[in-house]
Amino acid sequence: MNTGRHLLSVLVWLPALAGLLALFLPRQSPKLLRAYGVAASLFIFGQSLQLLNGTGEAGAASGFRLVENVEWIPSLGIRYHLAVDGISLWLVLLTTFLTPITLYVSFGAIRNRQKEFIAAMLILEAAMIGCFFALDMFLFYVFYEMTLVPMFLIIGVFGGKNSVYAAVKFFLYTFLGSVFMLLAILYMVMQYKTLTGHYSFGYLDLMRLGFPIGTERILFAAFTIAFAVKVPMWPVHTWLPDAHTEAPTGGSMILAAIMLKLGTYGILRFSLGLFPLAAHWIGPTIALLAVVGIVYGALAAWRQYDFKRLVAYSSVSHLGFVMLGLIGRTDSSVSGAMLQMINHGISTGALFLLVGVIYDRRHTRDVAEFGGLAKIMPWYATVFVAVTMSSIGLPGTNGFIGEFLVITGSFSSSLLRWSYRCSSGGDCDLAQIGPLFSLIAATGVILGAIYMLDVVQKVFFGPATNPKNDHLPDLNRREWAGLAPLLFMIFAMGLFPNYFRSRMDPTVHDFLVVYNAKMDALRDPGGARTRAVMLEEAVIRAPSAAAPAAAEPHAALPLRREALLAQGD
Amino acid sequence: MLLLSPILVLAVGGLIVMLIDAFQEQEGGLAMPTALLHFVAAAAALALWQRGVPSDAGSLVHGWLAIDKTTLFLQATIALGGAFASLLAGGYLAEHKLDRGEYYPLIAFSTAGAGLLVAANDMLMVFVALETMSLGVYAMTGFRRTSARSAEAALKYFLLGSFAAALLLMGAALLYTVTGHTDFPGIAAALQAPSPASGAAADDANAAVLAAQFAIKLKISIFAMLLVLVAMAFKVGAVPFHMWTPDAYEGAPTSTTAYMSVVVKAAAFGALLRVFLTVFGDAANASISGGWPAVLSVLAVLTMSVGNLVALTQTSVKRMLAYSSVAHAGYLLLGVVAAPHATAGIAAKSSVLFYLLGYTVSNAGAMGALILAGRRGAETVSYDDLAGYARRHPAAGFALTLFLLSLTGVPPTVGFFGKFYIIRATLDAGYTNLAIIALINSAVSAYYYLGVLVKMYMREPAPGATRAAPMKSFYVVFSLIVAGVLVVWMGLMPERWLSLAAEASGARPAAAAPAEGANNGGAPTPL
Repeated sequence: MNTGRHLLSVLVWLPALAGLLALFLPRQSPKLLRAYGVAASLFIFGQSLQLLNGTGEAGAASGFRLVENVEWIPSLGIRYHLAVDGISLWLVLLTTFLTPITLYVSFGAIRNRQKEFIAAMLILEAAMIGCFFALDMFLFYVFYEMTLVPMFLIIGVFGGKNSVYAAVKFFLYTFLGSVFMLLAILYMVMQYKTLTGHYSFGYLDLMRLGFPIGTERILFAAFTIAFAVKVPMWPVHTWLPDAHTEAPTGGSMILAAIMLKLGTYGILRFSLGLFPLAAHWIGPTIALLAVVGIVYGALAAWRQYDFKRLVAYSSVSHLGFVMLGLIGRTDSSVSGAMLQMINHGISTGALFLLVGVIYDRRHTRDVAEFGGLAKIMPWYATVFVAVTMSSIGLPGTNGFIGEFLVITGSFSSSLLRWSYRCSSGGDCDLAQIGPLFSLIAATGVILGAIYMLDVVQKVFFGPATNPKNDHLPDLNRREWAGLAPLLFMIFAMGLFPNYFRSRMDPTVHDFLVVYNAKMDALRDPGGARTRAVMLEEAVIRAPSAAAPAAAEPHAALPLRREALLAQGD
Repeated sequence: MLLLSPILVLAVGGLIVMLIDAFQEQEGGLAMPTALLHFVAAAAALALWQRGVPSDAGSLVHGWLAIDKTTLFLQATIALGGAFASLLAGGYLAEHKLDRGEYYPLIAFSTAGAGLLVAANDMLMVFVALETMSLGVYAMTGFRRTSARSAEAALKYFLLGSFAAALLLMGAALLYTVTGHTDFPGIAAALQAPSPASGAAADDANAAVLAAQFAIKLKISIFAMLLVLVAMAFKVGAVPFHMWTPDAYEGAPTSTTAYMSVVVKAAAFGALLRVFLTVFGDAANASISGGWPAVLSVLAVLTMSVGNLVALTQTSVKRMLAYSSVAHAGYLLLGVVAAPHATAGIAAKSSVLFYLLGYTVSNAGAMGALILAGRRGAETVSYDDLAGYARRHPAAGFALTLFLLSLTGVPPTVGFFGKFYIIRATLDAGYTNLAIIALINSAVSAYYYLGVLVKMYMREPAPGATRAAPMKSFYVVFSLIVAGVLVVWMGLMPERWLSLAAEASGARPAAAAPAEGANNGGAPTPL
């Protein structure tokens, strides 16, 4: 199917329609249902591969592509604005890649209400893709909220014993966090209206706003708290182990692999993109929380007896790396963080799948129940070890390059420093914390190896002590079908990282150029600014993205606004 | 005369329905004619809107009534709510053996009263319309004659409602004593601060006397204003005047609950807006126009918070919806608080109108879905009754889910957009604290709406408990489909409805507005 100019809309709305359609299929024929679910999601994956068209390595475009920008609610300045760039590209592909796998393997464990499961998963996919594409803050918020209900149902309906508690906790944490983001968005739109005389929720418009530092810090907090809960950053991670433990295998996979990325994506795109000064001010603290998360998550994972909780805490640790990389704000650290988001999606998705495999056989996730499985389930053990290697970042697997870039990038990051205002008026360094923090993060890698290898050793090697395990069947065809693409990606990304990096690095680079340009333009040493200002259009336009941006109607702003700037100051 | 057609259709139609009921052999079958009547009334309001309201329609019938676009918008909303209530009654009353014909004329007459109330331009007219509307609703509340709770609900509602009406009359009488007027423009003119120009012309002694007289006038009228405010707060169910709501909502037949929560609320808010914006809205007279928004904002915060917190503890879904309806009145009050603002006022007013429309479809839908879940002898009221309902009956469960999500304010439903619009207007008018409180409340409310979802999707009924099963009723299913389509449509494509609400609030047509803003180069447009 040639979707032409509306590829992004197709990718958002096709899963939603397919999900609604699933509700009308006959419940009596589960085979048809399953085939439909997998076929629909595979078809969407196939469509999403078109996103890679025109992203060759030579002259790779860094700006927004495939823009769809039409009026939605003109009286409030809300537009239906979708676009893809190097940052969102891989996250969307990760979503469309994992959804069919998740659906397919879930049918092993989920026997009842498959229809509703398919519908919820596809609608969730639509909402998540929408989040990654949306360049209108209102549209983003709508998609962001739309993820809540399907996930709530997936955890609550298909989950374990305490799933209801976990589902409600998940919903309320996220909902409460996001209402303040909505408030912050509205405040920004008000300021925009005061300065320009018209409303706009456009990300690229609001990016041009500069606030007094106090206001900016509050706005930054409103956005970042909402996203930090989602990531989840230490210390607001407490909902995650609960949600994972209670969610069904498929739910855990989607939750860990993609939904958490909504948080990190939001922090990069919105918290950093919109509020550079506040990010600069609070950056070292966030980095501190990130490294605490890395170490804490690893130590907590070490102490878990429940397989799923172990993987959940390892997520806290891995997402700490992502946060450290993002807040390092150097080309390589952000690029590493981006890679790490994808890596974590694939390897944690695979880990949850593998945990699901033995859970389906034994209905327990207690690590102590197992031992010597390598003899009983040799293929399972092999795959598990391979995924473990990816998770702990062994060279040759995908995990290595991401962690390496994050650590080197944040080591050299000049932005990670504690400073104070010295008598001369500028910022004086108290300490460069980049090296220290990357050192701690590196110990996190070691800890990660310890807890993962520890569990591998306990579960797979040594004598087979528990007679209940003696006759466990090895991986079946369904499980192989789910694991094979994940294994493929683990090694593909490990061996050919440049294919992926070349399609995201230009965007990351330009993002940081704009970030720094905006920060320089807004720097305000004495706290003299008392009201919001509009920056020149040129400030937020990345050098290499100039041509695509001009082609986009929304970015071609009338000259009138520049005239306004003069009188606004 | 033509301008009154939405009201007249309902009044005359109500009489005809009554005649049909008297002459037909067997009971029943009146739901559809009554619903059609309401649809015709709504269509009449829309037709009048299309034709354009003549400029002198601001004071019709010797100034008793004012027909403007606000009136027409609200009349259409009210008629829509009345149509939903009639259809729901057609299913509910028949299922529970209450199907006596007099219910339908009562609906029509009450809606006619509600239509008058939003058009009223005179204190006496407000009183007459309020009573016309309320009397029918009292009777509909006590319609289940054999049930003690229904009778209790009707009595409570009647007593407190009469008390509120008496307060309103007292306020109107006081206003008459100080101003010599009962019509809104007259009172407003008399309450205008004496202009300095006329003061300069008279000699100083005379001016001092006049000023002293005006000060006394003001004091009395402030007191009168409070009385009117309390009466209105009763009708919209604002805390602390909400005590009747849970009992009346719970005891009444559910179709009446739906009617009360949408039609009565919309009409009362319409009257509240008009009274406070025209009578007490003179910005030059700060002791009046500056006073009531502060009082109302306290009421709004109390209403939202108490409504939501008490709703958290309920075990009956119907009672929970009653308290949630109180909470929604709180959000709406925010819009009223912001409505007198010089620049953000129009947006605030239109956000109230939009919210009322959205709330009408969402809440009528929620009530309808609750009605659908109850069969004869097994009416669904409590959370436990709904255990496993959506598992057994996915479509019916989905309907209730959709409307509850809209009440929670989750996109892409109209409830989300309504809340968003009100909060935006509140922020625009500078009430940041109120907006924050409203958002926190909205998050709190998610918990009890989710409770229903949890029961429906994730719990199984206790062994031996009755299992809720949907009744079969074309009327109810039809109204649920209409409401469901509207909830999603207005949530996804709100622009058209927003521009209607904005036009109803006195904004210029949407096409002209941006150009105006552009020419001014960002300076606030003087209105």
